[in-house]
Amino acid sequence: MATVTLHNLVKAYGKAEVLHGINLEVADGEFVVFVGPSGCGKSTTLRIIAGLEDVTSGEVQIGGRTVNHLEPKDRDIAMVFQNYAIYPHMSVRKNIGFGLRTSSLSKPEREQRIEEVAAILSMTEYLDRKPAQLSGGQRQRVAIGRAMVRDPAVFLFDEPLSNLDAQLRSQMRLEIKKLHQRVGTTIIFVTHDQVEAMTMADRIVIMKDGHIQQIGTPAEVFHQPANIFVAQFIGAPSMNLMPGRAVAGGLEVGGTMIARETGRTGAMTVGIRPDDLCVTQDKGCFSGRITLLEPLGSETLVYVDIDGQEVVAHADGRNPPALGAVVQLTVDPANLHLFGADGEAIT
Amino acid sequence: MSFYRNLSIRQKQVVWAWAFLAVPILFYSVIRFYPTLNAIILSFQSWNLLGPREWVGAENYIKLWHDPVFWKVFRNTFVYLILGTPISLVLSFVIAYQLDKTRLLHGTLRALYFLPFLTSTVAMAWVWRWFYQPVPIGLFNNFLASLGFAQVNFLNSTTNALPAILLPAIWAGLGFQIIIFMAGLRAIPTSYYEAARIDGVSGWTIMSEITLPLLKPTIVFLVVFSSIGFLRIFDQVFNMTTNNPGGPLDSTKPLVLMIYQTAFSSFDMGYAAAQTVVLFAILLVVSLAQLRILRDKP
Repeated sequence: MATVTLHNLVKAYGKAEVLHGINLEVADGEFVVFVGPSGCGKSTTLRIIAGLEDVTSGEVQIGGRTVNHLEPKDRDIAMVFQNYAIYPHMSVRKNIGFGLRTSSLSKPEREQRIEEVAAILSMTEYLDRKPAQLSGGQRQRVAIGRAMVRDPAVFLFDEPLSNLDAQLRSQMRLEIKKLHQRVGTTIIFVTHDQVEAMTMADRIVIMKDGHIQQIGTPAEVFHQPANIFVAQFIGAPSMNLMPGRAVAGGLEVGGTMIARETGRTGAMTVGIRPDDLCVTQDKGCFSGRITLLEPLGSETLVYVDIDGQEVVAHADGRNPPALGAVVQLTVDPANLHLFGADGEAIT
Repeated sequence: MSFYRNLSIRQKQVVWAWAFLAVPILFYSVIRFYPTLNAIILSFQSWNLLGPREWVGAENYIKLWHDPVFWKVFRNTFVYLILGTPISLVLSFVIAYQLDKTRLLHGTLRALYFLPFLTSTVAMAWVWRWFYQPVPIGLFNNFLASLGFAQVNFLNSTTNALPAILLPAIWAGLGFQIIIFMAGLRAIPTSYYEAARIDGVSGWTIMSEITLPLLKPTIVFLVVFSSIGFLRIFDQVFNMTTNNPGGPLDSTKPLVLMIYQTAFSSFDMGYAAAQTVVLFAILLVVSLAQLRILRDKP
C-alpha cells in the first residue's frame, strides 16, 4: 500500500500541452476516481503514474519515492486496461500468472497465489479456459486478477468498465468497490462516467482540458460544485442553469424574486438541481408549461418552459402532471447554486 | 417473369447466388478442372503433341521412378523449399519488426523493400546474372577482386549455383512478406505490450509469448504461400542459367523446369504430365501438412 503524489505535473506532446500542472495527493488505501470528458487528460495522468508516458515536467511520487525515471515494472503498480489486455492464446491461469514471471516466488507458491486470487474473484472453475470462452465480465475479472496477483502498492484502472453492458457494469462496479474494501490497496480509477465516479470513489478528481476542476468527496462535488462545469458534469440529469440578478434583499430569476441573500449584487448564473425543483399544487416560485415528460417509475422528469427557458424538474411518479399543463414549481432557496460571471461558485 | 415473382425471398436469393456463381464455375471447369483431369489422364498415355495418344498404363511413373535426373530435380526442389521458406520468413519478420518501430523514413523504407516484388522476375534475374559474372563483367567478382580476394564461381559451380539463384528469389518475395508481417504486427493491441511492460517481463518473453503466438495466423499464411512459391520456382532458374537451363549438370534444376523441358524440348507430353501430377501431389501434401501442423489446436 502506498500514497501517490503528483506535484506540478505537466505533459506536452511537442508544442501541445495537455496537462497544465496537476497537483494531487492520494492517501494510502484511498479510492480516487479521475472523471472528465474525453480529452481532459485523465488517462494521460494515469499513464504517467504507471510510467507508460514520460513526464514533461513535475514530479510523480509513489509511496514517498520519486518515480519519474523508473520503469513501470519498478513502480510497484498494476494496471487494468480498457480492453483488458488479456492474452487470447493463454488460459486464464497463464494470464493471471503472467505478472508473476519476474517474481522470486517458487512454482508452488505461484500456483497457490493464482488459486487465491481466482478464489477471491470466483474464477476458480474457469482457470483452464481461454479468454474466448469467457463472458465480458469474466474477462474483466481475469484482468483484475492479473493485476491483483502481484500484490502491488497501487492499482490503476483505465476505464475498465466501458466495454461492458449497463447491467454488468453496475455489477462490476459493486465488485470492485467490495474488492477495495477487502484488500484496502490504493486505487486510482479513470472513467468518463460520473455515476461510476460518484458510486465508487472516496474522492473524485474532476478534470477538464488538462486542469483539475475540483477534488472532493462525492457529496462535496455534488452539493458544493466549485464551478459551472462541475455542477453540470456531476449529477444526472444535469443541473438547470438560469440567468439571474442579485438585488438588495433577494435574487431575481425566471421572472420572480426569491428570498436569498447573495452577499453581492449584479448578474449571476443560478443553478438548480432537477431534484430540488418540484412540481407543487400550491403557489411555487416559478410557473410554466410542461413541454415533455420522462417517466422513470419512482419519479417523472418534467420539462417546463419558464419564461422562454426550458428547465427540468421532478414530479411524483404515480400521479404525474399532464403534458401541456401549466404547473407551479418550488425550490428551497438554500439549495440554489450561484455562479459568478467567471463560472466560479459564489459562496 | 411471373414465375420469378412468385418465388420466396430465400428462393430468389438462391437463384441470384447461382446466377453469379455460374460464371466462375464455368470458367474453372473449362480453364482449370478439365485440363487438370486431362493431365492426369495424359500421365498414363504417350503423346508427342502431334500424333495420336496411346495408352501406356503406369509406364511414365515407372520411368520417372528410375530416372536419376528426376531424383536430382526432386532434391533440388526441396532444397529451394527448405532453405528458401525459413530464410525468407525470418528475414522478412526481422525487417518488418524493426520497420514497424521506425518512424523516420518509414514510408520510403517500406516502398524500397516492396519494390522488388513489383519488378519483373525476368528483368531481375538478368540483372542478378550480370552481378554474378566473372571479372571484368560481374559486379560481385569485381568488388571481390578490388579487395584482393579470389573470384567466386557463382553460376558455373554445381555447389554455388543453387544458393546463388535462391538469393534473388528470396529477395524478390521479401517485400510482400514484410507488408503482411507488418499488417499482422499492427493488429496486436499496444495495451498487450504495455501490460507486459508493467509486469516487467523480458523482451524475449514478450517476443516468444505474445508477439509470435499472436502472429500465428500470419505465419501460417506466409509459410504456405511461400512454400508453394518455392516449390514452383522456375523463372529465376530458367533466366539465370539460360545457356544451359537448370545447369550446371542439373544442379539448379527444379521440378517445373524439368516438366517444361520434357514437354517442350523432348515433346514427351505423357511423361511431362506424370511429372506434373507428382508436383501437384507434393504441393497438396506439403500445404495440407503445414496447415495441420500450424493450425490452432482446439
